[in-house]
Amino acid sequence: MNPILLEAVLVCYAFLLLLVEAFNSRMPRRYFGWAAVVGTTVVFFMTFFVDSSKMNPEAGYYGFYAADTLAILFKRFILLVSVCVLIMAIEFAPVLVRYLPVEKPDAGSGEMYSLVLFACAGMMWMASAQNFVMIFVSVELVTITFYVMVAMMRGNRASLEAGIKFLILGAIATSLNVYGIAWIFGTLGTTELPEIGAILQSIDSSLFPSLLFGFGLIFAGISFKVAAFPFQFWVPDVYQGAPTPVTAFLSVGSKASAFVVLMRVLESMLSNSELSSKILFMLSLVAGVTILMGNLSAIPQTNFKRLLAYSSIAHAGYLLMGAASIVSGNSGPAIAYYLMAYLISNMLAFGVLLVVGKSTGSDELVHFNGLGKKSPWLATALTLAVLSLAGLPFTVGFFGKFFIFSSALQAQQFILVGIGILGIGCGFYYYLKVIRAMFWLPASKEQSISSPIEISKPYAVMLILLSISLIIFGVYPEPIFNLIP
Amino acid sequence: MGKWWGVMLEEYLPALVHVVVGIGFAVVALLTNFLLGRAGARSKAKDTPYECGMLPAIEEQPRFSVKFYLVAMLFILFDIEVVFMYPWAVVFREYLEREGVLIFWSMMGFIGILLVAFLYALRKGAMEWSR
Repeated sequence: MNPILLEAVLVCYAFLLLLVEAFNSRMPRRYFGWAAVVGTTVVFFMTFFVDSSKMNPEAGYYGFYAADTLAILFKRFILLVSVCVLIMAIEFAPVLVRYLPVEKPDAGSGEMYSLVLFACAGMMWMASAQNFVMIFVSVELVTITFYVMVAMMRGNRASLEAGIKFLILGAIATSLNVYGIAWIFGTLGTTELPEIGAILQSIDSSLFPSLLFGFGLIFAGISFKVAAFPFQFWVPDVYQGAPTPVTAFLSVGSKASAFVVLMRVLESMLSNSELSSKILFMLSLVAGVTILMGNLSAIPQTNFKRLLAYSSIAHAGYLLMGAASIVSGNSGPAIAYYLMAYLISNMLAFGVLLVVGKSTGSDELVHFNGLGKKSPWLATALTLAVLSLAGLPFTVGFFGKFFIFSSALQAQQFILVGIGILGIGCGFYYYLKVIRAMFWLPASKEQSISSPIEISKPYAVMLILLSISLIIFGVYPEPIFNLIP
Repeated sequence: MGKWWGVMLEEYLPALVHVVVGIGFAVVALLTNFLLGRAGARSKAKDTPYECGMLPAIEEQPRFSVKFYLVAMLFILFDIEVVFMYPWAVVFREYLEREGVLIFWSMMGFIGILLVAFLYALRKGAMEWSR
């Protein structure tokens, strides 16, 4: 099967859902959610039958689109994220509808599912993009879809505020990105990454200023997507205001696909050793500041969603630390593993946050007080999730951090490793704060009356699967590691 | 720095001159105003947007319907579609032999996507302007 069919099928299916949703106003909206889950799962299984030799070198997309093992791996990753996000969106729909100024109780929530599919297709294209034009177009597909999804609860002030902030800052990041691409194209005369890599091997050093300027601008655009230091200002507000499933999607899917793009761009830019030392210095600087910034700002947070936002910045820092030690040779697999670990633990954390937030009406950490008594299973799942995010041994997050740090040590990034350890120390403090709230702090009066939190069966199955994989891959990381090229 | 900057500067010199003249004119105009006029003298009348003529009666920006943006966006959407189709139609004959199938279906895909968007907008009542 030709690999370009994957995204084509997904996009056509999303269009179909959108049209059926528009022309059939009677069908309950959650059916569309389940239809989207089924479609995404089908595409996920289709990835096992792709054959990149079927791609026609004569066709117009050739050279834009790579279907190597890295791309396929990340396509599967993104499809899994989308399935989780869709299940979360179905669970979240009652809250979403509450904030929609519409006449019929159910209307207006159906688009969410098609939008998730569009964003998923965009991320899959990002994973395959090996041309700056393709990178730009796919990044825009994802970003514009997210503008809509972030502001989806349009009767809610926080969601609208998040939408506006994301729109304006996202537009700035986009323009920086395009400007950088223009500089690189102007200097080298091509937008194809493999070709850029080839040209850079024998290039006059008088071209370095413009190349570095161009790369810096592109890196700024990517930093915005992964929430790295100078461009992380939007993260807390947008994460807090956006609907919870969208926040989960932003933090995992958007970050992962941006890292694939970063890895591909780096791969081509680092073919010149003189240029690469400068770029890697910049990367290590950004990584170090991002780790410190994310972890230190997470400490005083009292809102769990905001805390996860700062923790997402911190994780971007660790991932960049992996990217900065790319000379060690095995930082690519380390980043991929870290992202897998982040997928499992972060989805689990957001999954529990969603149901707790839905039943208490708030994401404040205070509302987690006494959760251990009220719903012990949910509390256990969240405990696993935050321990894995903190990087405790016997969870999947531990191996993620372990591989990143070992590749950083091999690349002799000793200062960065020191900063990273400091960051992990801070991390333990604020992640364990959540566990303290759940098991030690007594619930306030009005909360202690409420019964255990009810969740639907499929949602519970998702949480259980995530928890189990979190432990299994924490003890036995071999299966994931074998998948990584 | 070498040759590269030299070439760059020579080519962009007119643009640089333009920028310098633009900034210079603004600075000179403001400075002459400040120096020749009574420096620093401010009054309520002087701070109004228009020093002569009628007072601005409306306190803030008038609100106007969000539908305006909707119509404008739909207009741009279909306007851009035609903008894309013109050059396509112009070169279509030229490329017909070599890549006819590819460029035909590329445009069909583009129009198909817009058609879906159009049907969606129609169905959701975006065209019912009186509502």
